Amino acid sequence: MSLQQLGLAGPLASARAWLENTHIAGRSLWWYLTGWRLGLIFLLVAVVLPSLLDQTLVTSAISIFIYALLALGLNIVVGYAGLLDLGYVAFFVIGSYTVAVGTGGILQDAHDNPLTIPTYPFWLLLPLAAVLAGVFGVLLGAPTLRLRGDYLAIVTLGFGEIVPIVFQNLPFFFGNIGMSALPPADVGPITFSDPLNATPFYFLTLIVLVLVILAVTALRDSSLGRAWIAIREDETAAAAAGVNLVRTKLLAFSMGAVVGGIGGALNAAFVTTIAPSDFNFGISITILIMIVLGGIGSIPGVILGAALLRFFDVYLLGTVSNNLEGIPAVATFLAGHDINTAKLLIYGLILIVMILLRPQGLIPDRRRSRELKGIGAAPEDTSAVGLLALEEAGISSVGESAADETTYAGTGSDAQGREG
Amino acid sequence: MSLFHLRGEGMLTLATLAAGQPNNIFLQQIENGITLGAVYALVALGYTLVYGIIELINFAHGDVFMWSTVVTLAVVQAMGLNAPLSGLALVGILALLIVIGMVVSAVLNVSIERFAYRPLRKAPRLAPLIAAIGASFILENVAELWRGAGFVSFPTIFPLGGYHLFGVQINYLDIFIVIIAVALMYGLNLFIRRTKMGKAMRATAQDPEAAALMGVNINRTISTTFVIGGALAGAAGVIYNMYIGEVWFFTGFQLGLIAFTAAVLGGIGNIYGAVLGGFVIGLVQALAIQFFPGGNGIAWSDATVFAILVIILVVRPSGLLGQQVPDKV
Repeated sequence: MSLQQLGLAGPLASARAWLENTHIAGRSLWWYLTGWRLGLIFLLVAVVLPSLLDQTLVTSAISIFIYALLALGLNIVVGYAGLLDLGYVAFFVIGSYTVAVGTGGILQDAHDNPLTIPTYPFWLLLPLAAVLAGVFGVLLGAPTLRLRGDYLAIVTLGFGEIVPIVFQNLPFFFGNIGMSALPPADVGPITFSDPLNATPFYFLTLIVLVLVILAVTALRDSSLGRAWIAIREDETAAAAAGVNLVRTKLLAFSMGAVVGGIGGALNAAFVTTIAPSDFNFGISITILIMIVLGGIGSIPGVILGAALLRFFDVYLLGTVSNNLEGIPAVATFLAGHDINTAKLLIYGLILIVMILLRPQGLIPDRRRSRELKGIGAAPEDTSAVGLLALEEAGISSVGESAADETTYAGTGSDAQGREG
Repeated sequence: MSLFHLRGEGMLTLATLAAGQPNNIFLQQIENGITLGAVYALVALGYTLVYGIIELINFAHGDVFMWSTVVTLAVVQAMGLNAPLSGLALVGILALLIVIGMVVSAVLNVSIERFAYRPLRKAPRLAPLIAAIGASFILENVAELWRGAGFVSFPTIFPLGGYHLFGVQINYLDIFIVIIAVALMYGLNLFIRRTKMGKAMRATAQDPEAAALMGVNINRTISTTFVIGGALAGAAGVIYNMYIGEVWFFTGFQLGLIAFTAAVLGGIGNIYGAVLGGFVIGLVQALAIQFFPGGNGIAWSDATVFAILVIILVVRPSGLLGQQVPDKV
């Protein structure tokens, strides 16, 4: 499914040539549309968007932002460090319940009697949720990160299942009924509790999202980020080059957890009622699909993946199924089936199709797509000096597999061309 | 779609059965655990065989098992069976169901290998695992579209009743389940030890490249492994249907995780380990349901299994019977 096969290569190339040859203020249009400039354009669009959209779409946008946040957090674990975390929802739950417990101020004792506890403002609980999720990330990660990657996948999956069960079975948290959370307190004239105006909350999530984007970008380019990528590409070589595997993985795992906790806190304040049944394996997988769809390890890719899936989920699926219900055949089908099932089926297909045909995702991460092509393809951009040293150290051990890996890369050949 | 606490519905029969007995509850739960463990062991074998040969957690394996339960239910419904059978009809129908279940699961498992895993054999480790999750989602949701989101009850076709020994009710069905499971395991053992293909499987598990150099057809060997793993899961699906009596599209996810835990407990890659792990997990779960502190055993039974998984992986990742193998570079 390359661009050539789709007949798009020609038009795309000429469009790009036009962009590169048209200059404004000494820079080509292409320059303005790439890198951080593009991020800035998107940010400007995001800032003016709420004044153009109706409130339903603003609400959809908030949930897109929250999921983009979660996807960026999971991307630290899966995309950078190459660890498969299938229970990311656990940190989302911890963050959500932190805010619900802290703002609600009421729990249950073992005999179902109400138990009043002091309440705290959301602004204090948001960092607390991040810290708590991070602590649980360390507690889970410390024993399990010594294991091979695929064991980690199963242990995290189990953790993701246990955490909601614990909140459901312990007497304090109202079991299946779940809990209510309060929206954040007003800041000056800005009020977050108006159900008819979601715009303040939109900007709150946007600000948090931008901060997280800046943080993960800085992390990726730090020495820690290069150590993560080294571990992802070849654990043995990274260890030989002096990377402390367990500590480095633990940092990835707990930082991913921190972001998950923040996402959970925002989510609880946004939806205001949470129940254990809202949190399941489907959410962990949905976030993983966002990453695989957008591009494992790629920050813009992951955000795009979150936006596409969330838009599909919240807006398109609702609107389309409502409109189609006018057609009798569709209505009878929908009456007997849950539209959610069809959605999850499509998610499964997306996962398989992407991983088979375009494993680097819609917006590939440069280094990651080289990795998918095998190390045989010589790196052009060797600015990451630390990594280069690691690659040299590992070259003897990975050399034998390089020849085979190029065969896998065949399908992804258009990525390099597009990035130039 | 809240998942794990619903599992209790099927398990409830186990607990109430035991609670209703005036006799030895502890021994009764041991008996229940052995029967349940036989099912877990059959499914765990599929995980361990595949992991042993290509080092992949076949995430879709539980759903391959589930498809056997769904298809055999459809067969039973199409034949209009809704009462316990006897004599030749019983033998014939059981044989038919087990064959159908085994074929369905084997075909599904080997097709997934062919289309989702084989193209990714040289890809980074995460890739086939993600493909497996995708396959699992597809299998689950197609089953849900077909049979709906709820539980569908599987008619009682096996004769009721049994023996009462030492304060323990041993149903005919339980005996049948254990006999079928043990026979299949024995057959698998013979196949792996005595046949040429079994030898090829062992060789491929040890070193695929060297095996290929010795003339082993790697693709065929891996496909055979998936066929065998699928067939065992298919047989497990049929006996699970008769034992639990409820069919649900999500059964495979839960049972798959439990069976995977069993495989890890025994030492993944080791077929004796998978059998041992299956029985141990079955026993632990049956006892946890009855004796969990605080009395809410059903709600906590899955959490107990996962806690065991985490503890084994931390304390002895190679499992009870596994060997500590260093990572291949």
